[in-house]
Amino acid sequence: MPRNAIVADELTHWYGELVAVDHISFNVAEGEILGFLGPNGAGKTTTIRMLTGQLKPKAGKATLLGIDISKNVDRVQGDIGVCFEETNLYEQMSATENLRLFARLFGMHRFDCDALLERVGLGGRGKDRVETYSKGMKQRLMVARSIVNRPRILFLDEPTVGLDPTSAESIRNIILQERERGATVFLTTHDMMEADKLSDRVAFMNQGKIVALDTPHNLKQQHGRRALKAKISTKSGKLEDREISLDAAETPDAIHELFSREQVVTIHSEEASLKDIFIKITGRGLE
Amino acid sequence: MMNPHIISVLVSKDLSLFFRNRFIAVITVLGIVAYLGMYFAMPGSVDETLEIAFYAPVIPPVFDQMKDSGLELRALESERAVKEAVKKGEYLSGIVLPTELMQTLLAGQKPTINLYFGPDVPVESKEAVEALVTELLYLQSGEQVALSITEHILGPDLVGKQISLRDRIRPMFVVFLVMFETFGLANLITEEIERGTIRALLVTPMSIKDLFVAKGITGICLALSQGVLFMAIVGGMNARPLVMLVALFLGAVLATGVSFIVATMARDFMSVLGWGVIAFIILIIPSMSVLFPGTVSGWVRAIPSYYLIETVHQATNFRASWDQVGSNLLTLLGIDLVLIWVGIAALRRKAR
Repeated sequence: MPRNAIVADELTHWYGELVAVDHISFNVAEGEILGFLGPNGAGKTTTIRMLTGQLKPKAGKATLLGIDISKNVDRVQGDIGVCFEETNLYEQMSATENLRLFARLFGMHRFDCDALLERVGLGGRGKDRVETYSKGMKQRLMVARSIVNRPRILFLDEPTVGLDPTSAESIRNIILQERERGATVFLTTHDMMEADKLSDRVAFMNQGKIVALDTPHNLKQQHGRRALKAKISTKSGKLEDREISLDAAETPDAIHELFSREQVVTIHSEEASLKDIFIKITGRGLE
Repeated sequence: MMNPHIISVLVSKDLSLFFRNRFIAVITVLGIVAYLGMYFAMPGSVDETLEIAFYAPVIPPVFDQMKDSGLELRALESERAVKEAVKKGEYLSGIVLPTELMQTLLAGQKPTINLYFGPDVPVESKEAVEALVTELLYLQSGEQVALSITEHILGPDLVGKQISLRDRIRPMFVVFLVMFETFGLANLITEEIERGTIRALLVTPMSIKDLFVAKGITGICLALSQGVLFMAIVGGMNARPLVMLVALFLGAVLATGVSFIVATMARDFMSVLGWGVIAFIILIIPSMSVLFPGTVSGWVRAIPSYYLIETVHQATNFRASWDQVGSNLLTLLGIDLVLIWVGIAALRRKAR
């Protein structure tokens, strides 16, 4: 059984009157991707900041690779990589200089900068100043910087937000490659499709609390509603929608009746999305 | 063609934004208040009074009667106190009368008078003080008296080798150079915090202590190298190279401490300039005491850079030794430690 790379135990933080993270507990196994989902202000970034030692928990405890980060953050920081939500690169330096700087900070003596740039799709642009990069390129460089030290735990805070589909896909591929390498990935996002596609498990966070935590499949099983959606052509030639629940006792009869009595134009099954489940559980959307 | 309406709307918007930024508004008002304060704190008139300290075991009555404008004779408790006061530059000169002055005068003998001067007092002033003593004793005795006057120079005697304007201005230039680094380093730190790169650094094995030490070293190296280069070129390192090196090092630490504090208060380059200029102007005020002796009073000692400027001035222009500038250097070191500690504590809070 894989060991836990991240253990959060009753982790809590507040800013004045506002409780940003309210006694959350969870584990992330080594080599697992945990999608941490929630709307803006749900407490995702505060959680990452506590887990990476940027913020001291007001209550509770977090351990990374078995080390209590409140007490020994310096012992674990060499093994983690963090990609921040907001771009925080040295814009007047080149991409190569940025990566080399961080490689040196991590004590990486044999570091193939060109290979890493190639991997994130920035091959040939390494010598250009970062200020000349597009948002997507900067974000890819941020991800590259977070894996400079081949981290055992990778924290990614909204890594694809606001990116074009190509850049976003490129970053998703890197996340999967890192998991293949054996890294544990803690991914915060409010893109449910992305979380569904990448995560082994997802945690729904709302108003500082974890309201659900399971695999996407199990969440869909527990909270989703499966259905058949069909378009039929009426006698007058109009198109009408029909929906048949797949989880009801009368489903076989309803399907039989649909095909025997109606003229079916199109038909497809519909699975509940994580977005629907989130709305169902929390009563609110992700925006 | 210009559209006055659009221009007025834009001006109104910019003014509104300007004062909506509380920091800019405060710095604007503070700037005006600080410059006005400094202006009024400086002497508004030229003091032509000759201030002379004297010691006499028995004060001749005529000394007590000399209250005319243009001359202020202040009796001190001992010859040693007179020498100290003159050495500190509190008085132009010191006069020490012998115990048996009156008896000697009555006996028609020649009393010995000791006069004390600082190293920088012009010959004309010395002659004036000498003439004054002769005149006072003439008034006291009612007849021309023969005197034996002995002049003592406290510190190096500069008769015939007055300091040129260029050499006087040298400490000011070096302090300009060292203190100017305040802007550069403060901006570097401010950008690091405001652009969030500090957060990226702090999730690496680097600690916040490492960061401040690195910033400190950067600041000290930049300021020190410029100061040393300048002094080496203008010959300021020739007299007391080691003293100068230590003084410039402590000056560079001072600039670094000030830049930490400026960076704590600043948010961007403009606010670095705003706070930096205030600090810069205050820190260069003591150089006026070297450039124009007598124009600033003892309060300049409250400005940390005074101890740097005074040391640079004494070491380069008077070849002052460790003994003579040691207290300045120690005071500067103390101020440096306090400023660096305050700066780091405040920056640490801001960074977190």
